[in-house]
Amino acid sequence: MDEYPPPPDDALDTQTPPPPPQPRTIHTGSPTDFLKGVVGKKVIVRLNSGVDYRGVLSCLDGYMNIALEATEEHVEGNVTNRYGDAFIRGNNVLYISAAEEI
Amino acid sequence: MDGSSSGIQEPFDLIRLSLSERVFVKLRGDREMTGILHAYDGHMNLILSDVEETIMIVNEGEQATVNVAKRKMDMLFVRGDGVILVSPPSRT
Repeated sequence: MDEYPPPPDDALDTQTPPPPPQPRTIHTGSPTDFLKGVVGKKVIVRLNSGVDYRGVLSCLDGYMNIALEATEEHVEGNVTNRYGDAFIRGNNVLYISAAEEI
Repeated sequence: MDGSSSGIQEPFDLIRLSLSERVFVKLRGDREMTGILHAYDGHMNLILSDVEETIMIVNEGEQATVNVAKRKMDMLFVRGDGVILVSPPSRT
């Protein structure tokens, strides 16, 4: 009778696989918590039109109206404008992304 | 807010500080303007005076060129839903 060859020794290894890599920081909480945490940090604000604004977030409100300091306007990867202060009307905002670790 | 050097509490404060100053406004439809800000409201409706508006006209096709049309107005009401960005140019 044919017998299957015995399994190699390392297949009997009962060690558990290594745990999946943990992210550096785990962000939980509501969007409001994120917005509170990101004030004063460098952010990227993308508008519905696709234009990006990078600057330090001074403040924002519940409509996502944004006040930025030291703002650069990026269109298709190129810096097209610089503003010392900028107010952005919230309806144009697609997202606010943290450009630095919170 | 902590860390804010200019003492602005909410975004509309930035606009309030710019009253009677010349501001730069970016609008929908590839339009920009500079003018002296006299009034604003929660919709971002604006009253500007001594305004110069710049309209970018993009010619699509084999040669993608941009033409610019300017016009001046003494006093202007801007409807808020067209406003994208307001910036005081003196601070740039």
